[in-house]
Amino acid sequence: MSNSRRLFLKGACIAVVGASGFTLARAKSTSATNVEPACKYALVHDETKCIGCDACSIACREVNQVPEGVDRLEIKREGPFGEYPNQQFHFTRISCQHCDDAPCVKVCPTGAAYKDPKTGIVCVDEWKCVGCQYCIAACPYQVRFINPVTKAADKCDFCKETRLKENSLPACVSACPTKALTFGDITDPQSQVVQVLKSTPSYRSKTDLGTRPKVFRIASQSGEIEL
Amino acid sequence: MSPFHFDSLIWHWPIAIYLFLAGVSAGAICFAVLLKHFKLGTDAYKSGFVQAACLIAPLAVFAGLGILVIDLTKPFDFWKILLFYNPTSVMSVGVGVLMVYQVALFAWLACVFKEPVLNWNQGRWLIVDKLFNAIAKHEASITGFLVILALSLGAYTGFLLSALTTYPMLNNPVLPLLFLVSGLSSGAAGTLLGGVLLNGNPDGKEVHFIHNIEIPMILVEIVLIFTFFAGLILTGGQSQVAALTAIGEGFWGWIFWAGIVVVGLSMPLAFNLFMKASSKRKFSYVAITASCSLIGVLLLRNFILYTGQMTVA
Repeated sequence: MSNSRRLFLKGACIAVVGASGFTLARAKSTSATNVEPACKYALVHDETKCIGCDACSIACREVNQVPEGVDRLEIKREGPFGEYPNQQFHFTRISCQHCDDAPCVKVCPTGAAYKDPKTGIVCVDEWKCVGCQYCIAACPYQVRFINPVTKAADKCDFCKETRLKENSLPACVSACPTKALTFGDITDPQSQVVQVLKSTPSYRSKTDLGTRPKVFRIASQSGEIEL
Repeated sequence: MSPFHFDSLIWHWPIAIYLFLAGVSAGAICFAVLLKHFKLGTDAYKSGFVQAACLIAPLAVFAGLGILVIDLTKPFDFWKILLFYNPTSVMSVGVGVLMVYQVALFAWLACVFKEPVLNWNQGRWLIVDKLFNAIAKHEASITGFLVILALSLGAYTGFLLSALTTYPMLNNPVLPLLFLVSGLSSGAAGTLLGGVLLNGNPDGKEVHFIHNIEIPMILVEIVLIFTFFAGLILTGGQSQVAALTAIGEGFWGWIFWAGIVVVGLSMPLAFNLFMKASSKRKFSYVAITASCSLIGVLLLRNFILYTGQMTVA
């Protein structure tokens, strides 16, 4: 009796270790053998040029037919800072950061959240999505939402299905009257994004979480000094 | 901040109920296995407590899965979770564990209730005899795998939340252990409550056996809750903010101190210690202790889920 129990325990332990090891190894190998994308799209939001006019978010809603009540792109306004007449506002872009190591892609149980192998854009497969909202909870930038029409998770996809298909820039980039947005391929050293990023210091949000976001920001001097 | 409505809240109470039910199921079946293995043997099916555990385990897991499916925004597409698999997703792995767990659960139930079923059948359907005998042959392996799967299920309820880097309070290595232990103790409480309701003897050897395991388990739970919050506070930054918002003033602070610490942990512990000396246990005593424990665990699930989502990294 005790012999067979020992045998069983050994067997079970080997099975558990084997199964979890296999899963881990497979997870590693799939991410390692993934072909590096042909290009990696990134966006720069120059907060020094942004005037908070919301032209970008209005264009986004129109082009991507985003239903009322939800947003793929929002401009958060903070301020005013300073005394009249030298008052300033600070504008922050709130949209998908297209993380290179995206938490939403990791947690999605069906693979509906995925990183497009060609462009590095984080996308949603509407059909595969079951609406468990795990990705919405997992996104540290809190930019995902349930589309009230499709009932699937939704968010900014750099206009992959709309403007990029027509070989034009994302709607927000084209709409910006102050040219505060720069879009392009960061693997191409000649691209405008790379030029902008090399010439100006930029920052990214919540990099300490290891998400490696592909939305860069150029900090404006307005705003409060926070400790 | 309103306790039930705030911007960063994504998962609502149905998820907490689901986590609670999965834990109860895993815990109840673990105690049924322990009772059969160490106390009752082949007579296990006659005990009200084993019967209760064997009813609770499948019903809780079905109810939990039902709640989970209804809570999806596309409930009729739930089969896609079973069809598509993502090895990096805790939810995907957990669904796999749940499916295998249910198979092992029913196989084990067949082993336990083989005798009464075969007596009732009286050889009318040969296939039933054959099936039950074939399953019972592998009882030892089935039992072992069931326990491993039940423990995995209990821990999974914690890993599901601790995988969320968004929320520093949930992204905590102690959480899976805490949910596993509290899940087991809720399973014990469910077994006791169901057992006495099914006319089990409140002073029987089953109750003494379970109560003996319950005291150390409550102590471990207290240590885990302490480690959970001490760890968060010592980490500093948003983790500290999250911990202090959770157990500080306000609605959820009351739930934590009065509901979880006093009703859920201290009262069952006090009852158990008090009852050690005088041995005779009554129906009301067993039922009240078990109810306190169950309420405590249900509140703990809701408390962790809601307060965990209050603070973002």
